[in-house]
Amino acid sequence: MLNVKTILFCAFILGGISQLNAQEDTSNYEEDYSIYDNLDYVDEGTKSFASAKISGISPARLISVGYDFQGSYDISAGGIGAFGPQTARVNSTQGLRIGANIPVISKNSLIVQLGGQIWDVNYDFNDPNSLTHPMLSALSNNNLTTLGLNSTIFKPLNETNFILVQLASDMNGDFDLSNFQAFKYNTYSAAAIWGKRPSDYKQWGVGLSRTYRAGELNYIPIFLFNWTSPTSKWGTELLLPARGHIRYTLNRQNMLFFGFELEGNSYKFDEGGISMANNLFTPVDDLQIRRSELRVRFQWQRKLIGFVWIALEAGYRNNYSFNVDEVPGGQDFYRGFFGDQPLAIENSLTNPLYFNVSFNLVSP
Amino acid sequence: MNTKFKLMKNLKITLLFAFASLFSFGLFAQDEADLLIGVWEPSHGKAKVKIEKIGSKYYGKIVWLKEPNDPETGKPKVDKNNTDESMRSTPLRGYRILKDFEYTDKKTWTEGTIYDPENGSTYSSTIKMKDENTLDIRGYIGVSALGRTDVWKRLQMPSKKK
Repeated sequence: MLNVKTILFCAFILGGISQLNAQEDTSNYEEDYSIYDNLDYVDEGTKSFASAKISGISPARLISVGYDFQGSYDISAGGIGAFGPQTARVNSTQGLRIGANIPVISKNSLIVQLGGQIWDVNYDFNDPNSLTHPMLSALSNNNLTTLGLNSTIFKPLNETNFILVQLASDMNGDFDLSNFQAFKYNTYSAAAIWGKRPSDYKQWGVGLSRTYRAGELNYIPIFLFNWTSPTSKWGTELLLPARGHIRYTLNRQNMLFFGFELEGNSYKFDEGGISMANNLFTPVDDLQIRRSELRVRFQWQRKLIGFVWIALEAGYRNNYSFNVDEVPGGQDFYRGFFGDQPLAIENSLTNPLYFNVSFNLVSP
Repeated sequence: MNTKFKLMKNLKITLLFAFASLFSFGLFAQDEADLLIGVWEPSHGKAKVKIEKIGSKYYGKIVWLKEPNDPETGKPKVDKNNTDESMRSTPLRGYRILKDFEYTDKKTWTEGTIYDPENGSTYSSTIKMKDENTLDIRGYIGVSALGRTDVWKRLQMPSKKK
């Protein structure tokens, strides 16, 4: 006959076994680490994949909030239609730069990141009331804004080879956030790289890109080369021709860089003034500033607290392009080296010093 | 009287089964939690990590390094990137990089942290077992969305030396 004593006895035995199991401490067995030298995977079919990073590379930014400032310089705007050329002094060009890059798929066999950015460029003219050229007036009245979405896809093919794809769409122009410009004027950029990661200290790749970094639409080959010395003190982070830096690591929370970045895009601006004036001549429509600058710079990246890093950079902003093209209906064209499409306005800029500060939440 | 006796007997049998089921479930959950114990290789292949159980929590220490010596000093690698200066001479081999994981359910361990010796940062972390030989280890900052998942593969347990 079953009674309460039997039940309690069973409970005691079972409970005791459970308790013994919970208190098992396996921390002190085996300190001879040589036994771990040659261990096979339990799953024989296990595949290894190339990592997206190399040892010693600067941390990726999940969220970034920055401020960019260029010192004074001159803009010489070329004539268009009824408007003659005009040169104007810009006291400064500055603006906020906010960006985010969030991994949405993060596996050994595939990494997909989605990102977005808002960049603002404000032109502070020395004497805005004297501006008669419609492009200069447009720049004085409205900021140039970029709203962008992008995605980065890293697909390792095996232990050493990988494919890297970057896609981006940007709305660029002198619109404001309460009155967006039409999507048909968005620019679309893409890059695809096939690469190798022969060691933890080196990765390289070659590929093709469709880019607006030179201001106007371009199709160019690209070259990736990230390298870290065995001591981790020196390294390179190159994605040519877009950017290239030499890295010196003081320690893993404190790094110095020297290099350059080619930065640019194509910005639609309000050409109302030009169109009105040109009713007497020929109508112009859908003008875009092909803005591109080569920034030669020093950069200092340092961990501030927790996962927040500060990046301070200073250098020389060298104008590469500030010309204006007519892009009717946003239907862009490729001029390349041999195209003979005429420029709508031919501009030139002198070159100032600049600095940039940003606070960044860095990725694990 | 006879009916009352039968009722009592049935009640005792029911209770016995209930207790037995409860403890069996406890043991089963315990077994499932301990599936985490073993030697694992992170995706970068630069280390092997042995996960063990201390008390009711799970910890993981580096037991093997692909590059055991620091190229700069020629000596065994130490935790030189640690933000705590007093830890910078601690050898990396034997270093606990996974700490305080507790089994929740559905082959998931939470409440833990993972330390990255490459940058000296410690991240919040959860572990999910995709199958008995594969772990998804996620390190994140604050919220899980701000993080990265690494896949670790189980290695054969070494035979103990006598």
